[in-house]
Amino acid sequence: MSVVELENVWKVFGEKSSEAMAAIGSEGIGKAEVLERFGAVVGVKDASFKVEKGEIFCLMGLSGSGKSTLVRHINRLIEPTAGTIRIMGDDIGAMKTEELRATRADKIGMVFQNMALLPHRSVRDNIGFALELRGVDGYTRAQAADRALETVSLHGYGDRLPSELSGGMQQRVGLARALAADPEILLMDEPFSALDPLIRRNLQDEFLGLSQNLNKTTVFITHDLDEAIRMGDRIGIMKDGEIVQIGTAEDIVTAPVDDYVADFVAGISRLKLVSAAKIMTGVDEFNANNAGVDLSNGCPEAAPDDDLDTLVGLSTGSDKPVLIKSDGAVVGIVTKDTLLRGLQGGAEA
Amino acid sequence: MSGAEQREIDDRDVSIETFVEQADPYYAPIFEKVQRGSLPRWHQNIWALIVPWGWAAVRGVWLLFWVSLAIDVLALVCLMQVIKFSPLLAEAQLDAASNSTLVARYSTWVTTYSWAAALLFIGGRLWMGSSANRWYFSQYSRWRIDQAVPSGVSMKRLIIGLVVVAIVAPLTTYRATQLRLDERACFNQMRAGEAVEQLLPAYGAGDVTSLMGSMDTQISDMQSRFDALDAITNRSEAQNTDRSQLRRELRDLVREREQVGDFQTISAVDRFDCAFIDDFPTLARLDPPADITYRRVADEEAIAAGVEGATKVITQVKDPVEGRKVTIFTYSAESIDIGINKLRAQYAGFFDAMTSVLRQSLIRVEVAFMQTPWPVVAFLFLALSWAFAGHGTTVFVAASLGFLALFELWQIAMQTMALVVVSTAVCVFVGLPVGIWMAKNKWFRWITEPILDVMQTIPSLSYLVPAVAFFGISQPPAVLATVIFAMPPMIKLTALGILQVPESTKEAALAFGASERQLLRKVELPMSIPSIMAGLNQTIMLALSMATISAFIGAEGLGAIVTSALGDANAGKGLLAGIAIALVAMMIDRILKGIRNSFSRI
Repeated sequence: MSVVELENVWKVFGEKSSEAMAAIGSEGIGKAEVLERFGAVVGVKDASFKVEKGEIFCLMGLSGSGKSTLVRHINRLIEPTAGTIRIMGDDIGAMKTEELRATRADKIGMVFQNMALLPHRSVRDNIGFALELRGVDGYTRAQAADRALETVSLHGYGDRLPSELSGGMQQRVGLARALAADPEILLMDEPFSALDPLIRRNLQDEFLGLSQNLNKTTVFITHDLDEAIRMGDRIGIMKDGEIVQIGTAEDIVTAPVDDYVADFVAGISRLKLVSAAKIMTGVDEFNANNAGVDLSNGCPEAAPDDDLDTLVGLSTGSDKPVLIKSDGAVVGIVTKDTLLRGLQGGAEA
Repeated sequence: MSGAEQREIDDRDVSIETFVEQADPYYAPIFEKVQRGSLPRWHQNIWALIVPWGWAAVRGVWLLFWVSLAIDVLALVCLMQVIKFSPLLAEAQLDAASNSTLVARYSTWVTTYSWAAALLFIGGRLWMGSSANRWYFSQYSRWRIDQAVPSGVSMKRLIIGLVVVAIVAPLTTYRATQLRLDERACFNQMRAGEAVEQLLPAYGAGDVTSLMGSMDTQISDMQSRFDALDAITNRSEAQNTDRSQLRRELRDLVREREQVGDFQTISAVDRFDCAFIDDFPTLARLDPPADITYRRVADEEAIAAGVEGATKVITQVKDPVEGRKVTIFTYSAESIDIGINKLRAQYAGFFDAMTSVLRQSLIRVEVAFMQTPWPVVAFLFLALSWAFAGHGTTVFVAASLGFLALFELWQIAMQTMALVVVSTAVCVFVGLPVGIWMAKNKWFRWITEPILDVMQTIPSLSYLVPAVAFFGISQPPAVLATVIFAMPPMIKLTALGILQVPESTKEAALAFGASERQLLRKVELPMSIPSIMAGLNQTIMLALSMATISAFIGAEGLGAIVTSALGDANAGKGLLAGIAIALVAMMIDRILKGIRNSFSRI
């Protein structure tokens, strides 16, 4: 059972959204026609994905691509026009108000780009907010808040007001608030976008570490492909409300589904992303083209999922091609030529 | 000059050409000079010099159009004054010796107006001719930002401009040539018109001429009958009665005939004058609303049947005065009076209950303020200001209290305080929920906002009258009037505070599972406290300023001193009481500000 599961989710904004949705269903009209005929805007178009337990799923897209709208469907801050969203198997669209509020408070934590802390409450009271809404007593709340503060390395800041903290620290508080109720799911809406690069990097690393320890399921929104690649186990790329490709960073970089995605990933360094398996030549093919090359000794060896960076390291120390071995058997060969072409891109098998 | 620079200048020239459409060779260098600041003051735009408003209309420089039109019309009016008074001056000069005052007066007027006309005309022209290009350039600058700004040359605009001139100039000029109209004349015109309107159907006449014809026939007919009767030397009793009745009828008829004659002889000029250059012509005359009075009396039947103290409303309808016609204003005012009267009688229980609740709470608060020994009250004030507002304010509060004590205004000031406290409490209890509802409901906001504006801007004296009608005089209606006047800021600032809470913060609270109620209590209200406190502060200040006005309907306190001082023209007394009110207001204001600052965390 996936922790988060979206199935054909549509969101049409506008007064005649339901008529527009019906027309989309029956006539299959496009965005432009929806706008023209119904004055409605398609915010999310037929989005489906699953996020498994402990996974970090990145939704990446430019501003206006509908990623923030889509993530707000997961905790039903926005009602979908069509489609189903399941949280740990429960259809969130079918929940009654009370049940929905319980789900939001207990199972889903959310972090916002602009922190959205309550300025009149201390850091500790901010963190304990979700618990307070559930009627948890003050003592337990304070304990949980202090634990969460510890987790985000803000020990001792509980009695400050948010305005007394720097941007990076405020976002840590935001994260601590999302973690305090120990939810299963974290929704992160461009959490680090408003921070300066150094602090952003810091927080990214810290969050990765945290996420490994805590084993939370995360949906992470960003407009920054580098961030998506750093953070995401899988990445969904959104364009004009539509998810155009879902896959691992390597999938997306090595096999972009269309020109839009290709343009996006064009500038990305492949060193750490692409594995040997993607660029290696088969043994038979190699032998056929390079008769007489001795592979029997002195060749560096690597595993199929070693990245290009490792291969470069091995290759520079030797004149010989690199042998890619799996379970003791050679499954492929990488020469310097293949390696260079692989770094450049476009030569994947 | 580099290529890029040259290109930029070329681009600009093209855009000037697009903007002016015609006469580009003239305007392009002019605009450059304006921009460089080297356009000489004496340079004249020849069209703007000759027909400034025409030029401005064609070019769409509407501000210059109105200014130049105003200057020209003013010059014209001055000229008309000269033309109007010159013959009078000539006439007076015929007998200069006996009319010396008149001659002096008229000749001053004629000279002054001549100079003014000349100055306005020549000076105005020169100024407009030299300013036109600068105004036009600033319009060009705006046009470059926003293409909706008028540009080019347009005959349509010229026609619009000419229509405006045709509406404004001739009537104004004509009015300036006329001496003051005889108000009586216009009134008589109206009466004659009404008479004709009534007589036309009575005689079945189609127009005034035939009406006059049939009236004349009837008059001569009656006259001959009367003459015949008159000729009889010894008339019988019946004949005598006939004769006198005939004489009366004849007299009435002749009077009516005269009115119709008047109507016929009203000159076209007089008609025109009364309709267009005098007051706005009366549009409608209505039958007044039925004069109904409602009274609540003891219901004998019900009391007999065992219901103690039963009352009922009885309705009395008075016959309308024969032939009385009223204006729309009077009609509406009388209808409102009747409506208030009806409500007052119908819901007497409600109004009386409300009055008594207000009176009781006022008495309690007054007791609290006035019967607490003065050292205690003074101490509380000083302690509050010391704790929240700092040394400076404490000194000020001490001085103010000293003033009140020294001038023996203490008890009266406390009375005013009680009025303010009760009014403010009502404002908060009603205003806070209304404000919240307003923030939450778009439709309610849409309806309430204009009502609040009216509540704030309607002269307070004018709703004191209905307050008296519903609640009688003395303190309770004063509280109500104060509440109406002082509540809007409470409502508005509460709503504003809640609306100002960032959408993202509310979203965050919802994402963590807040209910609507929790959202309001834990997020929106706390975050709008600064705004709500500002509203409370305003409300208190307005309530204090209302203290004086409500004294007109019998509210006691410092305001009453001011009102009585006004009646007796005692400047000193009024000033001292006014200062006392200001001091009370400032004390409360400073202390509240202190409390607000020390509690506000945002």
